Amino acid sequence: METAKYAIDIQNLTKKYRKTRGVTGLTLQVEEGDVFGFLGPNGAGKSTTIRSILGLLQYQEGEINVLGMDAKKERKKMLMNIGYLPSEVMFYPTMKAKDVIRYAADMRQMDCKAEAEMLCERLQINGEKRIEELSLGNRKKIGIVCAMQHRPKLFILDEPTSGLDPFMQAEFFKLIMEYNKMGTTCFLSSHVLTEIKKYCKHVAIIREGQLVCTDTVENLTKRHGKSVKLVKDGVMEEFLYNGDLNVLFQSFAGHDISDIVIEEPDMEEIFMSYYTK
Amino acid sequence: MRLLRQELKINRKTFMIWLLCIAFCSVGCIVLYHSLEDSVKELADSYSNMGAMSQAIGMDKLSLATMEGYYGTEIAIVFNLGVAMFAALIGIGMLSKEENGHTAEFLNALPVSRVQIYFEKYAGLLIMIVLFNLIQVVLNYITIVWMNQMFDIDIFVKYHIAAVLMQVEIASVCYMISAITKRTLLGAGLGFAILMFGLEMMCRIIPAIEDAKYITPFYYCNAADIFSSGKLDTTLLGIGCGVTVISIIIGVLAYQKKDIAA
Repeated sequence: METAKYAIDIQNLTKKYRKTRGVTGLTLQVEEGDVFGFLGPNGAGKSTTIRSILGLLQYQEGEINVLGMDAKKERKKMLMNIGYLPSEVMFYPTMKAKDVIRYAADMRQMDCKAEAEMLCERLQINGEKRIEELSLGNRKKIGIVCAMQHRPKLFILDEPTSGLDPFMQAEFFKLIMEYNKMGTTCFLSSHVLTEIKKYCKHVAIIREGQLVCTDTVENLTKRHGKSVKLVKDGVMEEFLYNGDLNVLFQSFAGHDISDIVIEEPDMEEIFMSYYTK
Repeated sequence: MRLLRQELKINRKTFMIWLLCIAFCSVGCIVLYHSLEDSVKELADSYSNMGAMSQAIGMDKLSLATMEGYYGTEIAIVFNLGVAMFAALIGIGMLSKEENGHTAEFLNALPVSRVQIYFEKYAGLLIMIVLFNLIQVVLNYITIVWMNQMFDIDIFVKYHIAAVLMQVEIASVCYMISAITKRTLLGAGLGFAILMFGLEMMCRIIPAIEDAKYITPFYYCNAADIFSSGKLDTTLLGIGCGVTVISIIIGVLAYQKKDIAA
């Protein structure tokens, strides 16, 4: 296998559905060792992108390389090195949790018993329960074990924390950071902007099937300047400002400013700014 | 082979239920012959002179007065329809149940090619059909021997080989549909089996649709024909095998190009 510069390298990906748009001309790179956040509202194309990477969808145009492997031609080999967690996890209802975990390991022809036991313990999984008896959160935990037990080189996680309680969310990110330190790249889509800001190094924002921004979380925050919240002439106003602050203050001349807060914008404001333009 | 084992495990309950039901019907009917033997012999002539009805179920060729005739006209009809419905039911759900049950994403994100998924599941389908038939044939054989009514074993075996090929054809067509669709069309699968069964009876009665014998696989596994002639219709069997192979090829091509539903 050739040495890969990028864990994920997507060039000009276009996926159209019969009646709806998927993604159009999407180009995206995720560096090895990165924790990469993929942001976008429902229907923006996040899952389409992820499912195209995994070969679940047949895309019309573009090229996808994962860990130096062609996603179409070397799909099986590629999937050996990926741990995937779908947004809505579902397994065979009559199977026990431990059997699902073992089945996933068997399909990889790997003995993942030790790693699976460690993960089950940390995520507090009762392996004896049948899938049909489990809540979404508990199914998600099984999905996390299935995605991590073989210690893959790349995690692809689609809204990984939905359904997990705050304790499990914290434990989950602790695991992600531990695996990341050991070299695993993480590509995760999420609606929870605070977790993207807290854990991701890079972020990409997708809107209506097209990539609108990709940068480091730090640059993205800086690029959008300051978040300004003020009460001007008795009216509350909120906006992002990245110009000269002196000019901003001059523009207040002749107005009654009764309150003002200027601070670093949070991810939610940045995210929203891409959807209100 | 892990996927194949999983498939056999998942379907074991359905397998057992259908096995018991069909075994109960066919073995039960064989045993019933003992108590009906005398009255059936008296009625054999009138049954064979019921015109179209006799033609449809083969009583114009075989006599109910013998176990051979009874097996070929009564047991085989129950057996053919029952096992064909089982084959259709298993085949139609094998691939589409993954998408219907939202497990397709889990399965297809594992390092296994779609071709491997397709053929391992198909192998599971074939194993279930063969195993089902083996158990049924052994049970029927033991019952007939136990009743001291055994007839020519050669045509008994020939008929059951044709029956297996018929079931494989039905199952393969249903499996192809399963590879194309995202929903499990159980009704369509069972309907297809029943339609083919009905078509076979009709094309024997109505000369205008006689050519439908090339379409319905029930025609070449008609026990009355096999028992009376002592041989299989190789042309129809060839067509049946062709349909099976074409169904497998279309199915695997469609499955490889399919978008897997979340």
